[in-house]
Amino acid sequence: MRRTDRLATYSYLFPGLFFMGIFTFIPVFMSAYLSLFKWNVNNPEPNFTWFSNYIEVFKAPLFWLVLRNNLIYAFTTIPISMSLALFLAILINQKMGSIRSFYRASLFYPTMIPMVAAAMLWVWIFNPGLGIFNYYLGFLGFPRLEWLYDMRYALIAIIIMSIWKNFGYYMLIFLAGLQGIPNHYYEAAAIEGATGWKQFRYITFPMLAPATLFVFVVAIISSFQVFDQVFVMTQGGPGDRTNVLVFYIYQHAFRFWDLGMGSTLTTLFILGLLIAIWLVFRVIGRRVYYEV
Amino acid sequence: MKFSRKSRDRLGLHLILGLVSLVTVAPYFWILSTSLKYRTEVFTQIPKWIPWPINIQNYLEVFQMAPFHLYLINTIIVVAGILAIQLVTITLAAYVFGRRNFWGREFFFFLFLIQMMIPIHATFLPNFLTLKRFDLLNTRIAMMLPFFASGYGTFLLRQAFRQIPRALEDAAVIDGCGGLRFLWHVLVPLAKPTLIAFSIISIVSHWNDYLWPLIVTDTPEVRTLTIGLGMFVQQESGADWTLLMAATAFVTAPMLIFFLVFQKKFVESFMLSGMKG
Repeated sequence: MRRTDRLATYSYLFPGLFFMGIFTFIPVFMSAYLSLFKWNVNNPEPNFTWFSNYIEVFKAPLFWLVLRNNLIYAFTTIPISMSLALFLAILINQKMGSIRSFYRASLFYPTMIPMVAAAMLWVWIFNPGLGIFNYYLGFLGFPRLEWLYDMRYALIAIIIMSIWKNFGYYMLIFLAGLQGIPNHYYEAAAIEGATGWKQFRYITFPMLAPATLFVFVVAIISSFQVFDQVFVMTQGGPGDRTNVLVFYIYQHAFRFWDLGMGSTLTTLFILGLLIAIWLVFRVIGRRVYYEV
Repeated sequence: MKFSRKSRDRLGLHLILGLVSLVTVAPYFWILSTSLKYRTEVFTQIPKWIPWPINIQNYLEVFQMAPFHLYLINTIIVVAGILAIQLVTITLAAYVFGRRNFWGREFFFFLFLIQMMIPIHATFLPNFLTLKRFDLLNTRIAMMLPFFASGYGTFLLRQAFRQIPRALEDAAVIDGCGGLRFLWHVLVPLAKPTLIAFSIISIVSHWNDYLWPLIVTDTPEVRTLTIGLGMFVQQESGADWTLLMAATAFVTAPMLIFFLVFQKKFVESFMLSGMKG
């Protein structure tokens, strides 16, 4: 390659790298650096204290509650919305007329709504006295619950609304994956006498592996990003039972103005996220069959 | 009456899909219904799904109470600004990653992939400090800056560029149409479906952004719809559900109308978003 060409190549790369550097990579190192300082209302000037912030984080019982809440959120929303999405994608992929686009739109539209608006809507639905949730659950024999005002049920309410909001997108990804499976695989299987569950187990499921991996990674990232609905619906309450990682960081940074602590939590958050994704690729990624 | 196995399966299929659709659509219908009711109509023991008499006064009142038209304009500016710059940065980067060999390609591409995994939720505190230092807080540009580069968009587009045959480029170069001209006249038109898909996803996700605009704005002049709604909720403190639902319906409407009109394009775009991953 000629010199001018080489120069051109790097200059095309520059704008993207520039913004990425300033707003993604430098911040990662900046929070790692700031995490070593006490920097809050009592210490208006940053004060280097090695790893004392980390020790403080791990000693705080609230941190472990927040982590627990977030893990509960992840371990419920991810499997439920993924299996719901896969099941509905398989149903929608069956032969049917134009009603398919009606089903598809009704299941997918929550993705288009801002999370804040969706949260507002569900606050109204979960309203203990006037909300339709209690009213219709009553028919199924459930007692009236206080939902967002009850320490035991607030997180469950947020989980329910989040599944409603997110599963439609996952369903579309699965649907795209299903449409990519050549029909003759099923025809061949039918000739061999494989039907129903066997076709799913030996054709559909393995062929969907790339889509599943994608959905899984997206679901992990988004389940640790959860913030908007908590901010609108509960502000982390009651009794911090819906406080999650990003909200906890937000509280430290912008409510208590404890920037050192905020940076420490941010650093732990990034580390956790990257490790989780690395694990997924290590454990599952290598079993995925890609058709190139 | 006896059903054949096939028609019984079909009945079950539509029964399940119909029921799930009903459950997912009902909440939105409930916003609309509440937003069109008179205040007293909300307090019925049995949910009233059809608002009658219809009251559109709520929407007018919402507009008098908060500058939602301003929020709408701000949102459009922010979303369009983000998209415009993103299209430039991702097209250039995807071009060199997809079509050129150079020292450090693997490494730089790895950086772009990592960026996909680090959302703004993981960097909002240092980014806030950066913008504060440059005195950019409470501006529209502050809401856009962190999103100008998109590892995800670059990745999608690179896949599309790579599928375009090498022979085409050789022919173009011989005709004197190399470099940026080849990118603009050949690659970009051929990758149009991917560009449209990325644009739709970018518009939807930034239209719905909340955390970042919440942190960097503090006056109504620059606020977006989502922040405006959040503020309206606090100002109203949950007292008047007809007004709250009117505001919520207004905030959700533009994207939903857009979606219903261009449903096919939207669905294709979001489907594409996963296939290339």
